[in-house]
Amino acid sequence: MNIVAVTACPTGVAHTYMAAERLEKVGKRLGHAIKVETQGSMGIENELSADDIAQADVVIFAAGIAVRNVDRFDGMRIVEVSVQDAIKDPERIFASLG
Amino acid sequence: MAAHLPDVKRYLLSGVSYVIPFVACGGIMIAVATALVPMGPSGPDFTHAPFLKMILDIGTAAFSLLVPVLAGYIAFGIADRPGLVPGFVGGYVANQVGAGFLGGLVAGLLAGFVVYWIKKVKVPAHLRPVMPILVIPVLSSFVVGFVMYRVVGSPIKGAMTFLAGWLQTMSTGNSIVLALILGGMIAFDMGGPVNKVAFFFGAAMIQDGNFAIMGACAAAICIPPIGLGLATLLARGLWNQEEREAGYAGLAMGMIGITEGAIPFAAADPVRVIPTIMVGSGLGSVIAMLGGVGDHAPHGGPIVIPVVDHRLIYVAAIAAGSLFVALVINGLRKLAARRAEEGA
Repeated sequence: MNIVAVTACPTGVAHTYMAAERLEKVGKRLGHAIKVETQGSMGIENELSADDIAQADVVIFAAGIAVRNVDRFDGMRIVEVSVQDAIKDPERIFASLG
Repeated sequence: MAAHLPDVKRYLLSGVSYVIPFVACGGIMIAVATALVPMGPSGPDFTHAPFLKMILDIGTAAFSLLVPVLAGYIAFGIADRPGLVPGFVGGYVANQVGAGFLGGLVAGLLAGFVVYWIKKVKVPAHLRPVMPILVIPVLSSFVVGFVMYRVVGSPIKGAMTFLAGWLQTMSTGNSIVLALILGGMIAFDMGGPVNKVAFFFGAAMIQDGNFAIMGACAAAICIPPIGLGLATLLARGLWNQEEREAGYAGLAMGMIGITEGAIPFAAADPVRVIPTIMVGSGLGSVIAMLGGVGDHAPHGGPIVIPVVDHRLIYVAAIAAGSLFVALVINGLRKLAARRAEEGA
């Protein structure tokens, strides 16, 4: 599957990036094409392009705060999970995508 | 930095879009409170209206956040989240040193670029977490704060003293030239230091029994917001939804003599707006001066009509200046739009 994801935790210092790394690593291992944008205290990094979003089958939000620029994903299938889930058990998130 | 120049307008706009509701909120509250109390010889008289005074204070609170929010979100537009701290701090300092909204533009752009550059520095992975919460805020706020206090702040004080002295010497010369200069100064930074010098000069002359100087200032004070508001009414298509709303707020603020209502327009497009309103206000001041308009209260706009001499000319001066601003700015925008179309 083509997947895009956004991670964002309240402090935006560590968990945002840990979740991004886990999603990317596990997603790729499971054979998905995945790109993860981080919305941490540095602001938006590794920003998803319009192309990335257009080609994606599903969007994952692993966020403990409001995700910025959500209108980019209008009309898409969005799966919302906690940042903790993305760090601890990304396999289950990918399994739930069906 | 050079690569960023075409984007500067976008950065300014990102600040302005957050500032507009602050201007509208503060402006409307100040306008309502001021409109409902009697106009005395020392300006609006709130002694018997504690509730209206509170509304005035709430509006003033919103206005005092205007420059920090402007600077903060300009920096946010450039450098994203880490830009917020130095932007807000720099904007606050701009207020402290009396640098007004132009100081806020400087603070916001400076804060944004400083953070942008710091973010470019490659740091070891184990230091990354402390960059956005510790290193960037402290370092960038220091740089911006230092520049605002030492490089921007001190010369402003000197320049204000100089301008005040200069106006004093001008006042014995040609009154038409003086009116033109006063009008331009009032419009230049809309409540900033240059505006204040002209305003306080007019207010001080009232004490000396010369009401003509304040009369010229009073007309100039309301022309930028009324003129720009009028522009949004005359050519709806040239302005977006946000600007049209800022236009209504501007009209209301202009009626009450709050030049700050023009700030959203001036901050978004300083190169076109500021010269236009300076000439428009100068024109209004000259007409007021020629017609012998005198203002007995240190305040401007149509609201002071009860304490103005030669009221019809006063109204005509405001109308002429505002119409000038509206027509010229709409013309300039049409020209810019056409040029953009041809370029594309």
